[in-house]
Amino acid sequence: MAKTKSTTQLDEELKAIFSNDRLWVTVVWDDPVNLMSYVTYVFMELFGYTKEHATELMLKVHNEGKAVVSNGSREEMERDVQRLHEYGLWATISKEEL
Amino acid sequence: MCSVYMNMVCGRPFPKKSYKLNAEPNGFKRHGENEYQAMFSDSEREVLINLTEQIIELLAERVDHAHEDPLAAMVGITVHDSPPEDEVLLRLLPNAYADEQASSEFRRYTESTLRDKKRAHAMAMRSNLINAGATAIDLDHEGAMAWLGAMNDIRLALGVRLKIEDSAQEHLELLKPDDPLRAVYAVYTWLGWLQESLIQALMDDAPER
Repeated sequence: MAKTKSTTQLDEELKAIFSNDRLWVTVVWDDPVNLMSYVTYVFMELFGYTKEHATELMLKVHNEGKAVVSNGSREEMERDVQRLHEYGLWATISKEEL
Repeated sequence: MCSVYMNMVCGRPFPKKSYKLNAEPNGFKRHGENEYQAMFSDSEREVLINLTEQIIELLAERVDHAHEDPLAAMVGITVHDSPPEDEVLLRLLPNAYADEQASSEFRRYTESTLRDKKRAHAMAMRSNLINAGATAIDLDHEGAMAWLGAMNDIRLALGVRLKIEDSAQEHLELLKPDDPLRAVYAVYTWLGWLQESLIQALMDDAPER
């Protein structure tokens, strides 16, 4: 059982590594209305990030105008963007720049 | 982004008296493990109910049944794939891709759900306010998230109308006392402060992950 499971996991991983489908990112853009504390809290709540990591990302958005907040398959990123839009953050999906 | 310090929102003094708001505002406070409470005056409650109703109305489905596909509507697909023309709606329902075609496709499958979710936040906030009447608002975590989302949507909408485009807000500081936008700005500032109080109450007990 255990072997089958880990083999499946490995298969998934290998598939993901060789597949283009992982190379998508969710970008959050700075805007003048959203509160800094709110953006931090939304990152914690939606992504389960620690307060430290969420604050770091929020400051990157604030100082650099944008930050990549998650990456994965296109489908996963579309789900992330939809949840960020639900809470009023300005988010877009794009292909990861390598 | 914008930060709140004490009675300041984005470096602006909190306008206590300009909209008949509580002179001694308390905002949200945490009670126990998972409870967030706030008291509002009659006029504050009235302002908040009014704003939630405007958001609910604003986010109603676009009325254009000319070529509506009933089957598509049933499964939440809209015929609309172009971005909203209204500036406020465009901020609440933004494009998900820089690419126009990808954005349209995404919008066709998701905009209706996004509208529903945002309206649900505002409706929850409205019914909390109406049910509480003159007593304290009492929210659990889910209720607090709905309030955060709804208050943020209201602030985004007011922000567009107030033309808040960067952190400099001098044009709003210089408004004449009788300018109707001055009251809107007071409400916007007050909402930012209220939202901040709820975030701080939530952060107090946010488990370390």
